[in-house]
Amino acid sequence: MRWLGLALVVVAAATLMLGVADLPPHGAPDAPVHTHVGARYLERGVAETGMRNLVTAVLLVYRGFDTFLEVVVIFSALVAVVALPRGRAARPDDGDDRPPAASLTAEGPAQQLVSVSPVVAFVVQLLGPFIAVFALASLYRGHVSPGGGFQSAAIFGALFIAIALVQGRERAALLVPRGARVWLQALGPLSFALIGTVGWILTGAFLGYPADAAAYALREAMVVAVEVGIAVGGAVILAQLFMAMEG
Amino acid sequence: MVLFGVDVDYLAFVVLFCVGLYMLVRKSNLLKKLLGLNVMETAVFAFLVTAGMIEGADPPIRTAGTGPLFANPIPHAMVLTGIVVAVSVTAVALALIVQIHAHYGTIEVDELKGLP
Repeated sequence: MRWLGLALVVVAAATLMLGVADLPPHGAPDAPVHTHVGARYLERGVAETGMRNLVTAVLLVYRGFDTFLEVVVIFSALVAVVALPRGRAARPDDGDDRPPAASLTAEGPAQQLVSVSPVVAFVVQLLGPFIAVFALASLYRGHVSPGGGFQSAAIFGALFIAIALVQGRERAALLVPRGARVWLQALGPLSFALIGTVGWILTGAFLGYPADAAAYALREAMVVAVEVGIAVGGAVILAQLFMAMEG
Repeated sequence: MVLFGVDVDYLAFVVLFCVGLYMLVRKSNLLKKLLGLNVMETAVFAFLVTAGMIEGADPPIRTAGTGPLFANPIPHAMVLTGIVVAVSVTAVALALIVQIHAHYGTIEVDELKGLP
């Protein structure tokens, strides 16, 4: 068994080395990856989508279906995590031949009592508002500058976890209103479906965006709505995943 | 920079990928296996972003004073998709590991073998 794993790694390394040895020189502008559809996106992306950040343009317009299902994937992950049966209740009682399990359950409530260093608590309190503003800025300016819905969701999620670690899970849970939680965690797929349908009515194609210059404000509003859905939905999903991990 | 006939950026991808694969295959602790999987994912993301890069190019954000060369936006968008999938896989795996821990009191694969 010992040599089998090593042999697998060696075979994988040799295969990968053979693969990358044939790649064109790194950073060459005429490599095949740059001469296909990417060049067209770079050339006409701003005119066709109105977004200066072409990564967002690819994400929301050219590959909108991909991103739609990506949002569905992370929502499904949350569904799967929440749907898992709770371990302790499900454990059979006749498990007296497994002593390590008992010592583990005893640690459960005690972990709430672990105090956080005052330095960490102060730094999180000090930086929390700035982190939130940064997340909002990267959300709102995501289609014209670096940033976007997913990045904003990651920053918001990290902020939530930091607050949960410092203030405790109960107080952090108040940040996500209980009544709206069900809708907020599905906001990504919901906003995508809504904006996709609006685009369908306006342009005849699902997830289509009105292309003419007169509809600039409307297109802008649709993009921002999708981005807000991704950011808020993603952040709430990350927060819920963290809350569901209580072992 | 070229090392062993391969560009050093691609070589770093191979090394990182194999480190992750080794952790995934050889470690008995489920958490370490999951970490190995994440290292492998990171290697693939780094490889894709590296492939989209052009020497001396600007990021693909077309504002005044940039260009004429831009990095390829498609690998970036694909990596974003990949990161979301990686987060989802990690979350489900972590939840399963937590449940295994609660059921059996261990997350070592060789101790879990043969348990009912």
